[in-house]
Amino acid sequence: MTTKHSTSRRQFLKGSSASLTLAFVLPLNPRLAQAKSLKRPATLNAFLTLENNGKITYYNPFVEMGQGTYTSLPMLIAEEMDADIKDFSIEQAPVGKDYNYMYGRGLRFTGGSSSVRTSYDIMRQAGAATRSMLLEAASKILKVSVTELSTEPGVVVHKKTGKRIAYGKLAHHAAKLTPPNNPKLKDPANFRYIGKPVKRTDTRVKTNGTAEFGIDIKVPGMLYATVKKSPVFGTGVESFDAKAVLDMAGVVAVERVPQGVAVVADSFWHAKKALDQLPITFEEPKSSPISSKQLAQDMRARLDEAGINAEDKGDIKQAFKTSTNQLEAIYEVPFLAHNTMEPMNCTAHVTDTKCELWAPNQGVDRFAETAAKITGIPLEKIIIHTPYLGGGFGRRGIPDYAEQALILSKRLGKPVKLIWTREEDTQQDFYRPMTLIKHRAAINKSAKVTAWHSTCAGEGPGGRFFGVKPDQVDNSVVEGATKQPYAIANKRVDYIWHQHPIPIGYWRSVGHSYNGFVTESFIDEMAHAVGTDPVAFRRELLAEAPRFLNLLNRVTEMADYKADVIRDADAPYAFGFAIHESFGSIVAQVAKVSIANNQPKVHKVWCAVDCGTMVNPDTIEAQMQSGISTGLSQALVEELTIDGGKAVEANFHDYPILRPHMMPEVEVSIIESGAKIGGIGEPGTPPIAGAVANAVFKLTGTRVRRLPMKHYKLELAAS
Amino acid sequence: MMKLNINDTDYQVDAEPDTPLLWVIRDNVGLTGTKYGCGIAQCGACTLHLDGKPIRSCTFPVSAAEGKKITTIEGLAKNGSFHPVQQAWQEIDVPQCGYCQSGQIMAAVALLEAKPNPSDADINSAMSNLCRCGSYLRIKQAIKSAANNGGQS
Repeated sequence: MTTKHSTSRRQFLKGSSASLTLAFVLPLNPRLAQAKSLKRPATLNAFLTLENNGKITYYNPFVEMGQGTYTSLPMLIAEEMDADIKDFSIEQAPVGKDYNYMYGRGLRFTGGSSSVRTSYDIMRQAGAATRSMLLEAASKILKVSVTELSTEPGVVVHKKTGKRIAYGKLAHHAAKLTPPNNPKLKDPANFRYIGKPVKRTDTRVKTNGTAEFGIDIKVPGMLYATVKKSPVFGTGVESFDAKAVLDMAGVVAVERVPQGVAVVADSFWHAKKALDQLPITFEEPKSSPISSKQLAQDMRARLDEAGINAEDKGDIKQAFKTSTNQLEAIYEVPFLAHNTMEPMNCTAHVTDTKCELWAPNQGVDRFAETAAKITGIPLEKIIIHTPYLGGGFGRRGIPDYAEQALILSKRLGKPVKLIWTREEDTQQDFYRPMTLIKHRAAINKSAKVTAWHSTCAGEGPGGRFFGVKPDQVDNSVVEGATKQPYAIANKRVDYIWHQHPIPIGYWRSVGHSYNGFVTESFIDEMAHAVGTDPVAFRRELLAEAPRFLNLLNRVTEMADYKADVIRDADAPYAFGFAIHESFGSIVAQVAKVSIANNQPKVHKVWCAVDCGTMVNPDTIEAQMQSGISTGLSQALVEELTIDGGKAVEANFHDYPILRPHMMPEVEVSIIESGAKIGGIGEPGTPPIAGAVANAVFKLTGTRVRRLPMKHYKLELAAS
Repeated sequence: MMKLNINDTDYQVDAEPDTPLLWVIRDNVGLTGTKYGCGIAQCGACTLHLDGKPIRSCTFPVSAAEGKKITTIEGLAKNGSFHPVQQAWQEIDVPQCGYCQSGQIMAAVALLEAKPNPSDADINSAMSNLCRCGSYLRIKQAIKSAANNGGQS
């Protein structure tokens, strides 16, 4: 994962809005083109080097944080190149424009369930172009026409004479050739890898303790640091008494960082011990500190405002005016912490002329820019190593922890490894925002839902990070409430921008993380209001949405969905359904739920996913299990509360996450509808809370309107 | 100075007696396979074996580990062969981000040593290590698979 070279490979990716074409240009670095030693890797394009012994190194623009990019992406290359994926070694791509091809906007980040779907065409083309160059190189060596040559994985074959040349032996010859502009891609009917389960390339190192995470980095001469930022958001450090701890074992320095103070020592434990003892006076807050309880009340009070319009179809006013019945519900979701298992950390080595950073991150460009800004060293000289991430979930796109490490290293003139304690990680997060959502439905005298109006109050990471004008919709708040597939004639979504000082960020599935729950719960509320089973209700409203309908039919069949509570079992159970589209894919889930100890007990989840086209079905299954565990965790137990302007919870004892015994069985079915390839990392999360809440309603008559469900004392309703 | 026996090797370490064993192993000895997740024995990422029994090393003082046999994830494989639990983990690709997996594997090995054929209830009871990625189902599957293949080394 270390990016050893910031090279001048010149690969141009010409983007057009309609399609991306790939033009490869010969590497201009004469040292590579005329490699004297055949032992040096030959550069074939921006993504691949090939060595004489056949080893292929793939330079991955995306990080590995569990979601499998270190397998799915090399699969695409190996497929078209006709190479064995076992010959691949995966490294992180360096900072460079060649890797900024996402969405045609010069972007590169790992998030938004984007890695595979933005790379599908490019990586296949890179693999095919490479194969083409290998064939051309072989044809020159064997002095036969390319049309007489074929490949088997890793080998060019001349069937006529039986001559075989391993790819490795062709490496340096191929590197001298011009890659073709529009290489022919394989017929999917002939895929060896794509669409088939392929084992992860990183499992071995993740089972023997050798996988290197940021927290594991060792740099000669490095010091260790840990930090405490002022707990009340928006305040800083007034003073601290360094003398009180400087004599403690191993302590090297006590230093200010923005709004905080760090202790630097010869080991993490020495640093932590000293920081725990360090007398610190934090600034008094300038304004009255906020609580999440008060914030929820404030947002709730604004839900009747008109707000900013995000979506408007038909005539909402008229529909409500002429309705016989109206339905209204207010939903509330809390702040959530990311709590990746690996806490925030970063190792920085800053000198007068160099800056080297070992930073788990979800956006290398942002971190490089931060490093350049802090150190004054030119961007081209910043070296960033991205190790395996012990979870990302959106947290590691923000370089706050890197900033701290850079400042410390620059000041001390030594490499510094900064590790946050779990407490610091929980309390200095950029949380999934607390949001209040109101839904209203209009029902006419024929018991048909004619209008659906939702209002989301809060603030989103999109607006917070990228700025949003007062009359502009923050899509990161309303996503999932908008673009609903149900055929309801009049539909409106409004957004109320309610500002607050709590740090917010991107949490797995972002706005969909609550809008999935809320919209799917409210659809069930509509169904019950008109006396129809929620699945049957949806079937009618999805008649013109075939992808959704197919998934609904598939998953209800898998689950053998029953509308009613099953009472002849040890514990009565019910099925709850939810379906939601996010990040280009649609996921439908059925949850089998009973009530135990006044809480939902989720026995099993059936999950059908339409991601258009699949790359690695094993990854998809794992990511559905993963998404469900995240979604269920927020449905049942997670909550980050704010009081006195600071986070209350600190560690796993008071910020619980899903425990192993709470994980239901999961059965996954993948539908390849042939639609444009969608994402997989996040789409498994939005439906589950709604599916569980919908089952809970059937069992108890209680409509869950607030997460986590641990706030409810659920009782089985008499039949 | 104290002597620690880790994975059948003796190490001389210079650490205060109340230093958590986790940090001595990671920072003093340099074996980083055992992970820090919470520091309060809630998550299990720091699980290793002391005389064959699983402990959460983040709250275990190093002085109490002297004279005992410490086994970390790095010491599971024997003679170049992976432990059956590691093999089971590899068979079905249990890890996702992988950060919790050393602790999970050490806990699973200890479970199978004590109960070679664990029931679902046994597994639920013994395996309380947290995973933020949701690899819980495959962990359970792998434990059962290892048990079926004679899961002790």
